[in-house]
Amino acid sequence: MRSPAADRRRPTLWDGLVVLAVVAFAVLLVFLLRPAEGSAVTAVITLDGETVAQYRLDQLSQPVTLDVEGAAYPLTIRAEQGRICIEHSDCPSQDCVRTGWISRPGQQIICLPNRLVISLSGTEPEPFDAVTG
Amino acid sequence: MKRFLPFLCCLLFLAGCTAPSADAEPAQVQFFSMDTVMSIRVYNEGGEDAIQAARQEVERLDKLLSRTNPDSQISLLNSHAGDGTLISLDAEVADLLSFAKSVSQLLPGCFDITIAPVMDAWGFTKEERHVPSAEALADAMSLVNSEALIVDEASSSARLEQAGMEVDLGAVAKGFAAGRADAVLREYGVTSALLDLGGNVTAIGSKLDGSAWQVAVKDPQNTSEALCVLSLEDQTASTSGGYERYFEENGQTYHHIIDPKTGYPADSGLLSVTVISSDHMLADALSTTLFVAGPEEALDFWRSRDDFELVLCTEDNRVIVTEGLEAGYRPAGEDRGYTYEIARR
Amino acid sequence: MSVSLRRLTRSAVLTALALALSVAEGLVPLTILFPLPGLRLGLANLVTVYALCRLSGREALLILIARCLLGSLLGGNLMALAFSLTGGLLALGVMALLLRLPGLSLFGVSIAGAAAHNTGQILAAMVVLGTPAPLVYLPPLLLCSLITGTVTGGVSILLVHRVPFPGKV
Repeated sequence: MRSPAADRRRPTLWDGLVVLAVVAFAVLLVFLLRPAEGSAVTAVITLDGETVAQYRLDQLSQPVTLDVEGAAYPLTIRAEQGRICIEHSDCPSQDCVRTGWISRPGQQIICLPNRLVISLSGTEPEPFDAVTG
Repeated sequence: MKRFLPFLCCLLFLAGCTAPSADAEPAQVQFFSMDTVMSIRVYNEGGEDAIQAARQEVERLDKLLSRTNPDSQISLLNSHAGDGTLISLDAEVADLLSFAKSVSQLLPGCFDITIAPVMDAWGFTKEERHVPSAEALADAMSLVNSEALIVDEASSSARLEQAGMEVDLGAVAKGFAAGRADAVLREYGVTSALLDLGGNVTAIGSKLDGSAWQVAVKDPQNTSEALCVLSLEDQTASTSGGYERYFEENGQTYHHIIDPKTGYPADSGLLSVTVISSDHMLADALSTTLFVAGPEEALDFWRSRDDFELVLCTEDNRVIVTEGLEAGYRPAGEDRGYTYEIARR
Repeated sequence: MSVSLRRLTRSAVLTALALALSVAEGLVPLTILFPLPGLRLGLANLVTVYALCRLSGREALLILIARCLLGSLLGGNLMALAFSLTGGLLALGVMALLLRLPGLSLFGVSIAGAAAHNTGQILAAMVVLGTPAPLVYLPPLLLCSLITGTVTGGVSILLVHRVPFPGKV
């Protein structure tokens, strides 16, 4: 194969264009990936102050269920892409199961009888600092 | 130029290393106390010591005030109900008891810290929630009478006149604890912090950039959404609503805020009440009281005073915000059918 | 020597060279400098460039496939094979195309080849792992490919000019 490129010994202006194209591609990718990274949501599950599990909810491709060992009342947590809930709990009050799914940074599910808290945090700035109620 | 290129490259790399100071993560702790979840966040630098001190203060008060802790002063008072003994208490406990009595007098029939036997009858204390039988309820109701709680502030002592009576400070203890924790944090020089004592949010100072804290009020019908967002500085926002703890029996929903007049869950036309005040204890006590009182009485009471503001969410999806909050609040639930109105004096 | 035998020998020698180069660059792990999965100098790409310039596209393709298969036998696994084959094929295609353009030098061709190789690797990783997560590594890998492409481009210019006609067919 005869190629003009094979005979050159010095870089040309067109090479600079290739460099620019690669840089532009990289920048474009970073730009396109940014929203996906920005909406990172992490669920941290603590039992009486100790972290027992942690999930990146935005990156879960398969649903996960977790039976928390050591909880006073056995309970099952279910996490899917972007959301998490307490699917079942043997606790007497059932307030935690009724809370249902949570999906946004700043939200919490609390199971008081178990002293268990699931809290969501994220890279996206939350629109407020605290929640009353 | 060529020999400077490596330096330029180094500079470029180093440019990414500037310290992220403005949005530093606050020091924070989450813990269980007073039968709820609490969190303390301090945004000033080196807030860890302050946080630990504030937490210890809250836990100390929990030991002092808990009805379920047999060694607490409240348990001591309850165990001597009806036997005539005047129980001597810490001054702060006596003050808190007389404050609670005064709230009962402000809005008669809407608040009573001797409601504990009725709470027990409904199973809200031991988490065996059920509708009590008529007799059990009548028996329990006969023990509700904060007039029969005698408090002598001068000698900081108290007694319950009738056997079987019990005091439960659940409706004021978190507000009292917020006040004490606030004082402890300020002793440590904290000027920017948020306390969340089981849904009662106390804003200390302002954000580090000087702007007010943004505190959302939960939508009582959809607790993952906000009803509105308030701007707070050196204030507590305390919310009471039937959605927090409830149970269903025979298709009926029963929540945990019992009307001392009827012995049944309050049915005043309100879904939730949020009280905003620079008096942390007052905010806590009034949220429960005004939830029982209902929207008209709550607004009348607000017009008679100037030391708190209100956000009321009614059963017909109206959100009534008192005028003192008008400047700093923004509605957040129009798309869920809420209408917002400003109440004026 | 007959034409086809000559061709076979030539391809075999270049395949062996490519294999040796890819093993050699494993000894100088760039990932210590920049902890990016899949980052390498791409010395084996030299052989592809050379084969494209001095032999033919067909031979370059054969050498590439043989190198990837043998390389995975030598020490890789099936996943590594998928990565290097996808990356290599994409790089080969892009470079073969660019070599036909009039204005470029081997610097530009190699840089484009390195970038294409990284893109192919990441695409393969996305397919194998079934998640778009590896995509976040692509922008930094692309920037690194500017450097590795320039290095291999410089070396390939030397190579192509010093060894102009490998056993004329």
